[in-house]
Amino acid sequence: MPYKFCKDNREFIKALEMNNDLVTIQQEVDWDLEMGAIVRRVCEKKSASPYFKKIKDYPGFEALGAPLATYKRLAIAMGMKPDASVPEISNEYVKRTTGDPIKSILVDKKKAPCKENIWTGKDADLFKLPGPMVHDGDGGRYLATWHFVVSKDLETQAVNWGMYRQMVFDEKTMVGPVLPFSDMGKMFYGKYVPKNKPMPFATVIGCDPLAGVAACAPSPIPEDEFTGMLMGVPVELVKCETCDLEVPAHAEIIIEGEVIPNLLIEEAPFGEYTGYRTSPREPRTVYRIKAITYRNNPIITISNMGVPTDEGQLLRSFSLGLEMRKLLESQGIPITGVYMLPESTHHMVVVGVRPAYSNIATQIANLVFGSKLSPWFHMVIVVDEETDIYNKDDVIHALATKCHPIRGIRKYEHSVGTPLYPFADPDDRKWSRGAQVLFDCTFPLDWPKADLPIKVSFNKVYPKEIQEKVLRNWKNYGFKD
Amino acid sequence: MANREYDTFILSDPALLQEDREMELIVRELTPPDIRYKYRSAYVSAMISKSESKYPDQLWIRLGRGQLQEKPWSIKILKELNKLP
Repeated sequence: MPYKFCKDNREFIKALEMNNDLVTIQQEVDWDLEMGAIVRRVCEKKSASPYFKKIKDYPGFEALGAPLATYKRLAIAMGMKPDASVPEISNEYVKRTTGDPIKSILVDKKKAPCKENIWTGKDADLFKLPGPMVHDGDGGRYLATWHFVVSKDLETQAVNWGMYRQMVFDEKTMVGPVLPFSDMGKMFYGKYVPKNKPMPFATVIGCDPLAGVAACAPSPIPEDEFTGMLMGVPVELVKCETCDLEVPAHAEIIIEGEVIPNLLIEEAPFGEYTGYRTSPREPRTVYRIKAITYRNNPIITISNMGVPTDEGQLLRSFSLGLEMRKLLESQGIPITGVYMLPESTHHMVVVGVRPAYSNIATQIANLVFGSKLSPWFHMVIVVDEETDIYNKDDVIHALATKCHPIRGIRKYEHSVGTPLYPFADPDDRKWSRGAQVLFDCTFPLDWPKADLPIKVSFNKVYPKEIQEKVLRNWKNYGFKD
Repeated sequence: MANREYDTFILSDPALLQEDREMELIVRELTPPDIRYKYRSAYVSAMISKSESKYPDQLWIRLGRGQLQEKPWSIKILKELNKLP
């Protein structure tokens, strides 16, 4: 059954406009820091998405900034009402992505807007695209900040869509980190590099919003089929010009080429999702390009990573949390919900549970820290059903009052980490070594009931009839809220 | 007056860099004739000096996390190296 969805970036822009969540900027803006500064401020103020109509030096190109940096935009992308709550969006996401994957369909190149213009040979020049200088001090222009890279497993032919940042080095070269435990890292460093084979890739810029959501999701389902599940219909793909990869037919820009084995070039620094410029400039994975195809008047998409909240933090938190929810439910753990705080830059997850047996928090932490999701976060807070996991104030209250400073905290050493962790020492960053921690905010089951502290809140310590009377009369008392 | 401007990222202590000796480094072009090519990177063979005026072009120094140093150095690019396949 098809859900309400946006077929491409352009329909999404119209949907944002209809929901008063778009600012169309007719004034010319500079790709060199100005666009980046605007998008950064938008993220920090949670303002509407900026739609740049005129980019200096690049007539004919447009850009959309911060396309999915808020839950409101995620709700719009999913065809829901814009004020849908986080639990409502979460439940809808889980409902759509549980069940049978929806296979994509291949369309003829003549029906694919992304083939309206094709540059090959010398024409395929990355500087002909308005790659922004996102932050002052970045190692280069990052053409790919809200995008995904398509690659195919050399042995299984499994296809991966993933977000791997790409910095423009020269006309034909991009470079960026591909961590060895990522899906593409396992493919490239595990299979292509040992055989010294270049790996074909296609970078998709300006995709429909749900394809972007899928590319962020750490699901075992192939991302194109996952996008189909979110849409309720198959995704339309088209063959690349220079390799046998397939890309979304309605995307704005496709960059095709090969990832080069046994060659590294310096990349970064870059303002990262943690809100810091942490990983240093160092040799990283090299992409050499062969072709660029694009729609007429292409609209690039720009994310600006930094302090919360940008779309990387929001969507990665959203999908990581919900994959954990699926994992814990599949193991029969009596959870009440899972919520990863975007403000934690997807480092901290809150799990609500009915504490049915002792040490259930440890069991939860062991499961999520033992999963393939674990390198991306390192803090688990387990709360009981009394705490609203979506309410930061409530979570902080539980953490500060229910978590025993010694027996409530369990440390996990020798974990997989990332080079982007600001708290890690330089050597740990270099070798992707991390550590993790559980904060158990449930009261021990062996405490006598009479000794259990009673939460003092409006909902807890007044009889129902008093609560109802107060609520009924609230405005009569003179309160305006 | 400098003709062109470049910058480079120094990953070690800038004080240890050897001046006036042919060396290989990656530079980014900051003042290309076609401004669309600003920040294009290239491997070059060059001579550098901490003196701003010794060589014809200006070289700005950034540290590993992008920190721009206050004063520019100078550079003479001898040739661009083609190190990529």
